[in-house]
Amino acid sequence: MKKILLIEDETALREELSVLLKNAGYTPVAVTEWENVPEQMKSSGADLILLDINLPGLNGEALLQELRRESSTPVIMLTSRTGGIDEVLSLSYGADDYITKPYDPTVLLLRISAVLKRTGKTGAVQSYHDAQVSSVKGSISRNGSEQILTKNEMIIFQLLLDRQGEIVTRDDLMTALWDNDEFVNDNALSVNISRLRSKLAELGLEEAIETRKKQGYVLR
Amino acid sequence: MRLKDYIRDRLPALVICVAAIALAVLFMTAYRLPGEGIGIIGGILALGALSAGLWDFLRRKRWYGKLLRCAEELDKKYLLAETVGKPELLDGRILYEVLRQGNASMCEQVANYRRESRDFREYIELWVHEIKLPVAGLQLMCHNNGDQRYSEQLRRIDGCIENVLYYARSGSAEKDYIIKPVSLKRTFADAALRSREELQERGISLRTEGLDTEVVTDGKWLTFIFGQLMANSMKYGAEEIFVSAQVLPDRTELRFRDDGCGIAESELPYIFERSFTGSNGRTQAKSTGMGLYIVRKLCRKLGHGISASSEQGKFTEICMTFGRNDLHDVRQQPRLQDRKDP
Repeated sequence: MKKILLIEDETALREELSVLLKNAGYTPVAVTEWENVPEQMKSSGADLILLDINLPGLNGEALLQELRRESSTPVIMLTSRTGGIDEVLSLSYGADDYITKPYDPTVLLLRISAVLKRTGKTGAVQSYHDAQVSSVKGSISRNGSEQILTKNEMIIFQLLLDRQGEIVTRDDLMTALWDNDEFVNDNALSVNISRLRSKLAELGLEEAIETRKKQGYVLR
Repeated sequence: MRLKDYIRDRLPALVICVAAIALAVLFMTAYRLPGEGIGIIGGILALGALSAGLWDFLRRKRWYGKLLRCAEELDKKYLLAETVGKPELLDGRILYEVLRQGNASMCEQVANYRRESRDFREYIELWVHEIKLPVAGLQLMCHNNGDQRYSEQLRRIDGCIENVLYYARSGSAEKDYIIKPVSLKRTFADAALRSREELQERGISLRTEGLDTEVVTDGKWLTFIFGQLMANSMKYGAEEIFVSAQVLPDRTELRFRDDGCGIAESELPYIFERSFTGSNGRTQAKSTGMGLYIVRKLCRKLGHGISASSEQGKFTEICMTFGRNDLHDVRQQPRLQDRKDP
């Protein structure tokens, strides 16, 4: 389980973010004491930090600069400011992504998993049971046979794989696709899923994707 | 300044002068001075008066001529006093002083208004950032509790807030945007993602072509512009939105086309005007007449062209042009050190 450090001074937001992250299978840790935040950042051992820019008596950008002197822990900046200057500054100080409030919670989760994937040790090849999933080649192979997935199918499978064993709603899948410039509609999503299913079946992975009525899909 | 006008202006003085000389000649004749002497003295007096008048005329003509020329050439006429300089002429000096005082007082007034409008805008920005926190909180709560009914309303609130923010920004003289190469594809996807639920509820499909290119603009502003255009398409019954970009040698043209109800030809020239709600706005949807107005203002600030074409019942197309190698834009980029601390 990936540990995520939350640095956000709005209590309501912080609590809801914790719930969101917990539901998505992360371990959230929140900063509640505003003394020695840099120390807390360094000693937290987090895999990723969500950092607000406006903090009591502190500036997120300055914190980021200080952190970057010693650590390369991925950081996503959260802010309600929409000026372009903050974004450029944050990115130049070494933030991995920058999200403005209010954010679509699904988009936030997608960005977190994208940053973790980009910076983490998860290589280009992941495994699913005894099959190998290559996001670079866009293929799944098992026992010597290989199935090439289309871009849409890969996006869907990747999201299901990232949250294996949990329910992924159609809404989440849709958001992930649209986030990748694939503006599919409801029917197209159903078609993509059934194609993905038949490709998995070709590899002998029948019933890998389970439908939960009115909830979504689960990858077993 | 013409001689005729000058003489007409100085007519009383001229009459007095002529009368004085005539009187002098009369007295001299009465004292029986020799005719030659009278002639010479009269001539000297007349010549003196004439040359004094001519000198005065030329001097005035020179200065007023300069003043008028300056006023004509200046594009900011209130800078007249600074440009024309302090003259030798007494009248000119008085005029110059008065001009300068008037000018200074006007500058003060303008500065006051500017300060007021900047303060107001700063407060709007602050308020927008404040209000976004509870909106973000509510959005997370909706998501965590699985209640999607409220999300729709929250998105509407967020849309209204964005409108206020960009309206405030579009009107201010401050340059708070960052112009850099921005991916059209990414920006459009961001905007589409924000309106995804609404688009899908209405069964609107999106099609893109050639967006795999970069334009020099402010990404946030462009996302907002896309959002506004999409909102319009949704309001006016589109079933498909087709966005395409074409890279030309000197510019990139972006076409945002929908197959909605279109705009009447007679109304097309006014759609970017403030508070203009055409027949569509009145009959089909609630329109504030602000969306496209803000969009055009933002485009002007960023230096992009924007135009619209439409055929009623068939399509509406908004075309934006982004300059390439536009040095003018690069110069307007705010420097990082100009940035105010939070």
